[in-house]
Amino acid sequence: MIKMSKASNIQVWQYITAILLIFFLGFHLAERIPQITGLTYHQSLDAENVYHNYSSYGWALWFLAAIALFHGLNGLRGIFLEWRQGKTYTLTVNALFWIVYLALLGIATWTVISLPALG
Amino acid sequence: MSGGTLKKNLPGLLQASLNPWLVRIKDHPERLAFILHRVTGVIIILYLMAHVYVTNTPTRAGWEAWTQVMAQFGNNIWNKIGEWIIAGCVIFHGLNGIRLLLVEFFGIGVGRPVHPKPPYRPVSLYAGQRLMLLIVFGLAVIGWVWAGLIIFG
Repeated sequence: MIKMSKASNIQVWQYITAILLIFFLGFHLAERIPQITGLTYHQSLDAENVYHNYSSYGWALWFLAAIALFHGLNGLRGIFLEWRQGKTYTLTVNALFWIVYLALLGIATWTVISLPALG
Repeated sequence: MSGGTLKKNLPGLLQASLNPWLVRIKDHPERLAFILHRVTGVIIILYLMAHVYVTNTPTRAGWEAWTQVMAQFGNNIWNKIGEWIIAGCVIFHGLNGIRLLLVEFFGIGVGRPVHPKPPYRPVSLYAGQRLMLLIVFGLAVIGWVWAGLIIFG
């Protein structure tokens, strides 16, 4: 049975993932800043550079996807749970949250694990 | 909340939670920040879902497909405008999120509790968190302009 999550739990997880995102997303965005990388924004998205990023720290990109998706979908869950209340409604929102989260995390995991070698 | 009650309250809910232009923001920038935080958050999660799918392109269809997709993004002005809007959302949401962490999670800038005295201005309207809020708005504008220079440059 899916446990009813307390509003305070949702908020605490938002704070924890937010703190992690400051570092991981900050690093990810810094990879696109020409003054830091020496590459233009579009050069930083070239296949060679992206492949280099994945092969150097694919685990960090996977972890970033895991916490960013959790933070975003958990925030959306909070908005939906504020909108309406009720046991069935809450369970449905919580179940949808986990289904969408695990599906998207599955895609991210597939990306990192099965990334083909460059040409 | 029953269906009837929801229908009755929906206009107020939309006005209070979703539409920043309908809310009186004079003397209430916190309210504007709250609404923008939500609106930008929803935009970002929609983008993130698409981002996770697009970054799967090399695995799904190979690196040539990735190069084609990136060329499409790089050559289309509307895609660049979309990226710039997303960048603005991320910058504001991130900066305001750091402010919220400092104020709500670490209790920084909330001021000391005081006895209520006329004209009953709450500490939140003049203590450190108001200054932090103004800094967030200022830095978000600067950051958004900078992101525009990077994306369109």
